[in-house]
Amino acid sequence: MSTELEHSFVELLEKHQNIIHKVCRLYTNNYDAHNDLFQEITIQLWKAYPKFRGDAKFSTWMYRVGLNTAITLYRKSKRRVSTQDFEGVAFKMKAEEYDNTEEEQLKLLYKAIHQLNDIEKALVFLYLEDKDYREISETLGISEVNARVKMNRTKTKLKNILNP
Amino acid sequence: MDGLDLLKKDWKKSESKYPKLSYNEIYKMILKKSSSIVKWIFIISLLEFAFWFGIAFLLKGTSFSGKMQALDLDAVLIPISIISYLVIFYFFYLFYKNYKNISSTDNAKVLMENILKTRRTVKYYVIFNLASIFFGTALGIYYAINHDSEFIEKLQQASVNGNETTLYAIIIASVIVMLIIAVSILALFYWLIYGLLLRRLNHNYKELKHLEA
Repeated sequence: MSTELEHSFVELLEKHQNIIHKVCRLYTNNYDAHNDLFQEITIQLWKAYPKFRGDAKFSTWMYRVGLNTAITLYRKSKRRVSTQDFEGVAFKMKAEEYDNTEEEQLKLLYKAIHQLNDIEKALVFLYLEDKDYREISETLGISEVNARVKMNRTKTKLKNILNP
Repeated sequence: MDGLDLLKKDWKKSESKYPKLSYNEIYKMILKKSSSIVKWIFIISLLEFAFWFGIAFLLKGTSFSGKMQALDLDAVLIPISIISYLVIFYFFYLFYKNYKNISSTDNAKVLMENILKTRRTVKYYVIFNLASIFFGTALGIYYAINHDSEFIEKLQQASVNGNETTLYAIIIASVIVMLIIAVSILALFYWLIYGLLLRRLNHNYKELKHLEA
């Protein structure tokens, strides 16, 4: 591998690193797991980088590889990701501007998201990122119609978890 | 406010709160590729062992092995084989340990130490294999001279004819040539395979060192 390749990769990643952090936020629930997943996604991105041809945007490509890595890891070690308490992250991300009820509601929302399966998490993530259905279908490798159906189901599931 | 809207609002607000990793921190993460190089060192050493083992297996039952058996080398050969297998397995263990250590390291300094350690292990492994070839050949010749009846007969004949020294000179010269050829082929093989991997490791090491500075 040439150092030039490394340089361009690291620069791009540094610029777009928030995407990885956000994936980690939805798929992990404590600081260590967050860092582990971040590192894993970075390595997977680096491994796949020589194949990245620039026909998609770097960020779009990051969404795809990042989510795939998270999904694969989540499937491999379901227990590690899902059983730990999620409080840690919730407190770290606490926003001072919210009033108590909103804060409580957010906590419940994130907790509910952590109960979703890997694909549903990916859908929520892409929804929060304001991606349209075309981008969602490309990122997850499903049809647009399917993405729409799955998104609606996920939203319903989330509402059902929150209001049983 | 709808739950999902609130979530989206919070999601956008959090945008600035994520940790910001520096260029160097990300760079160190991708230097993890060292672990895949060390994994290859481990795999190749296993393949190499399988290769030599396969050759020994194929030679079994050939005229060469019949001749070896006639020399009645078992008393010497078996303990030597056991020792060398033990040493080789110990090297496998070291390679594996190096691989495990490197793949679980995220501290650049420790990673550098492990890279150096791996380089040393490979060096010793190559030296051990080259030395084995050397001593193995020397031992074979010693036994041929002392135990091979065909050979002893030839020697006796030569001493009767008075050209014993010439015969010895020819033997020594051909042995040296053969040894040089065998060792160079092996050394070339090591230089190509392990050398290439070690050069990559070294490259990573230098980059890490550069980052540390």
